[in-house]
Amino acid sequence: MSLSNYVVEVNGIFGRWIKKTLRRPQFLFFSLVQPIVWFVLFTQAFQSIANIRQAIPGTNPIQYITFESLTGTSSYIQFFTAAVIIQTVISSAMQSGIGMVTDLESGYMDKMRVAPIHRSAILMGKVLSDGVRIVIQTAVIMALGFALGVPIATGVAGLLFLFAIALTFGVAWSGISTFIGLATKNSEATLMISILTTFPLLFLSTAMMPKALLPSWVQTVATYNPMSYIADALHGLIISGFDWGVLGVAALTILAVGAVSLSATTSLFRRTVSV
Amino acid sequence: MSQTAQLTLPPGAQAKATPATVVTAASKVDAIVVVKDLHKTFDPDVKAVAGISFDVKRGEIFGFLGPNGAGKSTTIKILTTLLQMTAGRAVIDGLDVDKEPARIREIIGYAAQDVGVDDDLTGRENLRLQCKFYHIPRPEIEGRVDHILKTVGLVEGADRRAATYSGGMRRRLDLAMALISKPKLLFLDEPTTGLDPQNRIGIWTYIKSLNEQGMTIFLTTQYMEEADRLCDRLCIIDQGKIVAQGTPAELKAEIGADVIQIALKSDGTGNAHDVAREALRRIPGVQEVQDYDAGVLVFAKNGPSLVPQLVRMIDDVGVQISQLTLSAPSLDDVFLKHTGHQMRVEEVKPPSRMIWGARRRPGP
Repeated sequence: MSLSNYVVEVNGIFGRWIKKTLRRPQFLFFSLVQPIVWFVLFTQAFQSIANIRQAIPGTNPIQYITFESLTGTSSYIQFFTAAVIIQTVISSAMQSGIGMVTDLESGYMDKMRVAPIHRSAILMGKVLSDGVRIVIQTAVIMALGFALGVPIATGVAGLLFLFAIALTFGVAWSGISTFIGLATKNSEATLMISILTTFPLLFLSTAMMPKALLPSWVQTVATYNPMSYIADALHGLIISGFDWGVLGVAALTILAVGAVSLSATTSLFRRTVSV
Repeated sequence: MSQTAQLTLPPGAQAKATPATVVTAASKVDAIVVVKDLHKTFDPDVKAVAGISFDVKRGEIFGFLGPNGAGKSTTIKILTTLLQMTAGRAVIDGLDVDKEPARIREIIGYAAQDVGVDDDLTGRENLRLQCKFYHIPRPEIEGRVDHILKTVGLVEGADRRAATYSGGMRRRLDLAMALISKPKLLFLDEPTTGLDPQNRIGIWTYIKSLNEQGMTIFLTTQYMEEADRLCDRLCIIDQGKIVAQGTPAELKAEIGADVIQIALKSDGTGNAHDVAREALRRIPGVQEVQDYDAGVLVFAKNGPSLVPQLVRMIDDVGVQISQLTLSAPSLDDVFLKHTGHQMRVEEVKPPSRMIWGARRRPGP
């Protein structure tokens, strides 16, 4: 089997997933409706956080902790943009595992397994399509942000970094849902476990609230929560500017999550599809 | 390759691709499938296939007839490289199933019991993708797809999503997907289960015509009539074992008599079977009396003229009849004779649905 065959196979499977994604109403929901709901509802409900003003004891003249001093912006919506990106990316990643389970349930996986294609092409084509979907969804959110007046501190170069983070983190995270999908072989269980692990992690991170304003136990969780480091990097790019230290930590986090999730998924996938 | 010769596979073209060295000396030269003592045990200790041996000759329609759970699908999944065998050996076209699954995949086609089409894609898109999986050169793809759509009668719905298809259309699309690579050997797992009679006959005609063009077909079925009409040779399989094999005519001739199936009412003592059997054996003209789960089977030449005597005799010994059927030997009787129980046909459940989105919408 040659490389050109492999390219044809991956391309075929990639195209299949792109078509499936675009034809399903839930894609529109996750890509458009949900970010709008998040942007509008959350920022309305929580906008008073940006007015926080807390005296620092023992300072003379009295100094205050403000939302701006903690985050670098007085606009909650600018801060919240990173949360919408992360939320959308992980929702999208969750769908990845469900797609795999649907193929197992419908018998389409067997159709592919009985064909003379490279087993890895099945996974590769899917991962590539997940990546493209995540890039499109991130673009939609950024456009929405612009429309709502969210500036990007780092400009076009920063946007490229932002897309790179969303893409790589999304692919790494999709490995988790695919793993759950292959392990349970049940779409309902996959969705449930994905939601139950994903949303708490999002709330227990620095994505929606600066760390200093979180209760102390949540701060502890947030310190060990990989999503915090992704959120910090995105906050930086959107609000303040390039901070290579923060971006480096985010890159390492993605590498670590990706290495674990994708290697576990690949080995489970091999066991699932091989005879 | 010309468009009109899409599904034509001259027997010579098949034969020359066979490396003769790999086939064991014991197997026949003209066999495309050779299976020896095949076992499949699932965890913890379910013997789905318990040591079966058979071969499929080039150019024939070969059938596995048996009820649900007999081991038909398991055998087909092992032969199509989807499942690993526990023990035994299987060779397809000179290639060992265990050692060269990748090469086997290039020469076989498989239509599963649960139709494996992508509902979000149109029929045409499903077929195009299948062409890519089989590395069909790009310029050839459109021609092949058009041709097969015509052959299976799906031109009309070709550009609609498969989700809108009726059961019969889905089955035809699935079959088309299995055939687009022009396989030497086609595996059909219960090709007509769940179809209405009209669609069933359509599929039968199509299977026959594929075979007439030279394709070897291995099918499984739980319908006696299907096996009888289609198969050149067949194995009757029950509980993981082959209980009889031969041509349908041979199997029926083995019975060599009319079959009178008498279901008995239980008399409470539990020996109604014994009483009836012994009484019936005394009637001149009765060749054999055999138990089955609901009563007794009487094998006799000239069955119709014996029926009154049989009924009287059973009445005399005080056993009650709940049902009596007289028939010329059918494959049903062959199955009953070899297994002692009747074959119950169960319809297959549709595959489970996706959690959101209507995966399967009713046809228009």
